[in-house]
Amino acid sequence: MHILKKVTENKILRQVFFIALLLGVWQYFVSTGKYSQLILPDLGSIWKALVDSIASGEMGERTGYSLYLIGKALAIGTVLALFLTALAMLSSFIADFVKTITTIFNPLPGVALLPIALLWFGIGEMSIILILVHSIIWPLILNTYTGFSSVSRTQLEVGRNLGLRGLKLVSSVMVPSAFPYILTGFKIAWSNSWRSLVAAEMIFGASGGQGGLGWMIYQKRFFLQTPYVFAALFVIILIGILVENVIFAQIEKWTIQRWGMVVQKEN
Amino acid sequence: MKRSVIVLILAAMLFSACASGAAAPAETAADVPVTTLRVAQQFGLGYAALTIADELDLFEKYLPGLQVEWLQLGSGGAINEAFIAGEVDVAVMGIPPFLIGWDKGISWKVASGMCIMPLSLQTYKEDINSLADFGPNDKIAYPAPGSIQHILLSMAAEKQLGSPTALDDIGVAMAHPDAAAALMNEKDISGHFTSPPYNFQELSQEGIHTVVDGTEAFGSEFTFLVAVASQDLYDNNPQAYAAFVMGIAEASDYINQHPAEAAAILAPSFGLDEETTLKYLTWPGMDYVTTPLGLMGFSDFMLNAGYIEKVPESISDVAYPNVVAAIGQQSGTPSELETLQYRPE
Repeated sequence: MHILKKVTENKILRQVFFIALLLGVWQYFVSTGKYSQLILPDLGSIWKALVDSIASGEMGERTGYSLYLIGKALAIGTVLALFLTALAMLSSFIADFVKTITTIFNPLPGVALLPIALLWFGIGEMSIILILVHSIIWPLILNTYTGFSSVSRTQLEVGRNLGLRGLKLVSSVMVPSAFPYILTGFKIAWSNSWRSLVAAEMIFGASGGQGGLGWMIYQKRFFLQTPYVFAALFVIILIGILVENVIFAQIEKWTIQRWGMVVQKEN
Repeated sequence: MKRSVIVLILAAMLFSACASGAAAPAETAADVPVTTLRVAQQFGLGYAALTIADELDLFEKYLPGLQVEWLQLGSGGAINEAFIAGEVDVAVMGIPPFLIGWDKGISWKVASGMCIMPLSLQTYKEDINSLADFGPNDKIAYPAPGSIQHILLSMAAEKQLGSPTALDDIGVAMAHPDAAAALMNEKDISGHFTSPPYNFQELSQEGIHTVVDGTEAFGSEFTFLVAVASQDLYDNNPQAYAAFVMGIAEASDYINQHPAEAAAILAPSFGLDEETTLKYLTWPGMDYVTTPLGLMGFSDFMLNAGYIEKVPESISDVAYPNVVAAIGQQSGTPSELETLQYRPE
């Protein structure tokens, strides 16, 4: 009973327990033998597919390419979003313009733009980057702008009284103050673009030599290598978890938690 | 404690409900003999016999009361998935996707050949006359990885460039109509490995020429499409199986003997006028023939290139008796028809 109590009280152990339970249920359904291995492969063969594809370098190459595309798009998207937000902060006329286009484009799923991207830029990296940038900049602008506009007047006045002007005022007062919003913007931008990327790669198949995880799923599907499809899904989930729970959590710790902007949660 | 137990039980119930829901269609398909025949098809001239059989009620002719349900699917991959899910009894597909499914344990075999047709790789670039002329930025489109077009390209790559995967890095998966439009507008892709009517359309445009054709790649004639039936249909509903095989045979003969009438029937479904349809149906190399050729040649190549893990020991592993008998088994040395199942040395 002691172990049970420990498990039910520790958060991480609890999560591990739930995952183990899910895997157990999975393996139970496999073991009933009612389902073809092509529909529901056993955990062993998925694990083997994962190890094989990592050993052969395929998984690394695919993951690397996906991350490269995301990184590139995030860089472009961030610069664009910050530029547009800065312009919007300078004049209310531009602000209305930025707000309008954000309202128009934000609800549009990136993948829906794929046919147009293909028409304009053809098959290849450019089209995917366009879609990713689209799924990145609007939530980023929306959040950054909201963040900057909600910087309290008192804080700004204090900054000015301390003699801060121009960029110094922006970097010392406005950015830290708006940071929770900016971070949220990045979180949404990341998850949007990650989803769009996998979807885009699967829809138009990219090109054989340079495709990411979506292309891998697409390709393995045609060769009925279901364990590899699950292995790629596993990697996608893993990266999602790592970025959200490790990278973003760490950034939060270094910034807004350290600055005392959020109440630290008791674990 | 008590509450968590209840939650667990609820979760377990939910899972088992989902599970039994998913298993149900497969079970009914096995128990009750189907009077509906669920046929999966794709789009192209290779599927013409299906359309003709449907229009002329040739399946019903051999089994009155038979209901034929059509599923239009986009690629061999989607058909494989529909088969695994037990949603399809019969499908028409290229030999390679069939072999991939067979290799992975789908219980299906060839029920009939459908056609021999010219497949080919086209380009609009004047300076491309062999596979070696494709540069790293020249993309070659085919419908899907593992499709017959992809496998033929790999065969040609092995012959001309020494490795079956030499061109995989510049391959793009595109649907036939999209790729044909791209090639004819000289956009995005430099080459398109495709099948009728798309290669005929492409070749009708000035400046587009064939780089390599299927027969060169394979080494001899081969069957483009086969009709594949589930073991379940064959075992539990032999009448429907036989009606399907006979319907295909009669429709194929009809197209060969009466191409003009067939063109009139087919034109609307292809969105072409009768004259063009007739031109395509009678294009040199078109043959609606039900004895398959090249079954073993494809499987040997695909094993060597790593696309599948096993090959059939004999034709009967991958074809039903009506097909095995059509090919025959000559005592002593193999007959010509048996030899034609393999690629020439």
